[in-house]
Amino acid sequence: MHTQAMPARDAGGAQLAQRFRDSALSFSRPRQVDMDLLVRFGVHPILVRIRDGRVTAAEGPAAPLPSCDVAMQASEAAWSRFWQAVPDAGWHDIFALAKRGELRIEGNLQPLMAHLQFVKDLVASPREVQA
Amino acid sequence: MKAALEPIVGRYVSFDIAGRRCRVYFEEAGEGIPLVCLHTAGADGRQYRHMMCDPEITSRYRVIALDLPWHGKSYPPEGWQDEEYRLSTDLYVETVMAFCHALALDRPALIGCSIGGRIVLQLAHLHSRNFRALIGVEAADHQAPWYDTSWLHRGDVHGGEVCAALVSGLVAPQSPAVHRHETLWQYMQGGPGVFRGDLHFYRVDSDLRGRLDGIRTDLCPLYLLTGEYDFSCTPEDTLRTAASIPGAQVTIMRELGHFPMSENPEQFRGYLLPVLDAIARQ
Repeated sequence: MHTQAMPARDAGGAQLAQRFRDSALSFSRPRQVDMDLLVRFGVHPILVRIRDGRVTAAEGPAAPLPSCDVAMQASEAAWSRFWQAVPDAGWHDIFALAKRGELRIEGNLQPLMAHLQFVKDLVASPREVQA
Repeated sequence: MKAALEPIVGRYVSFDIAGRRCRVYFEEAGEGIPLVCLHTAGADGRQYRHMMCDPEITSRYRVIALDLPWHGKSYPPEGWQDEEYRLSTDLYVETVMAFCHALALDRPALIGCSIGGRIVLQLAHLHSRNFRALIGVEAADHQAPWYDTSWLHRGDVHGGEVCAALVSGLVAPQSPAVHRHETLWQYMQGGPGVFRGDLHFYRVDSDLRGRLDGIRTDLCPLYLLTGEYDFSCTPEDTLRTAASIPGAQVTIMRELGHFPMSENPEQFRGYLLPVLDAIARQ
């Protein structure tokens, strides 16, 4: 799978967005999740449409100001560190990133909290595989 | 009998805490120096099951892990249905002291993790003469909040699932999957509002900054062990706390998070055994 071969460090936002898109499109869990999640890699957004626990679309938004339920934004460097096979302490969880000011979470937090592990697993899905 | 039985034995004991009768469940294994074990917020004494099955520990220590009232197999006290559970510093200290008294433990050693680590500091401050040694795991006098605890008990979010999902990030990435998910399962099993009630103590009623004067580590050694991946009680939080307590012995543990004894028992014992060796030599 080429997303795992791509080096995490020094990847640009567009590359990271593509890597997330490739990973997200095969993500599903057996639970009733319906939400639109916007994830930004620096200035590069991916809008993820989730229906019935399955990612049905993951694309760059067609127009500015895309509507979503929840949005997350972090820098390219933060996502790269987060996706390392064994992330460094403090860079290993979305709330660790948020606490250190490296990740912003915005929008309606109810669907996020109701399906928190689903979303955590989804955004971590491009993580490199441990050797 | 074909399968080997674990050495852990579970019992119930009833005693008064703050004027209310409580039926408290505890498990124990081993013989020797009593070692009372305090679980993290929203969990229960099962977190210590690996220590209770470790002959290097149980050959010298009587390891005793209780479920606080409202947790695990300890029911809330009678009348609970008409109140909101809120743990306070005073209630927590009284619970620990009453449990030790009920079991007639003679100057036990005590280990507590997270909220159990916080209360270790208060026990060191108020009751050090009653303990042989105190071990605070993921312990600090204060730590910055990182989410709104109102999410832990709402009608439109499953409490067990959100509790587990929130704390899942506090487990180190190196921890074996089987132990990670067993640790999280406990959070999924907690009673409604109990984790939030424990965090009332943690967030609201136990800011111990500047209030830990006079701790006599010469009378009762104080050990502080914190995992490098704990972003709730960070290594910096523990180091700051230790710097304010003369004689406190602090270790930052590699490849561990907020639940060392539960999330990666093999890694944790490498840090715990030297502490238990030192206490046994006292």
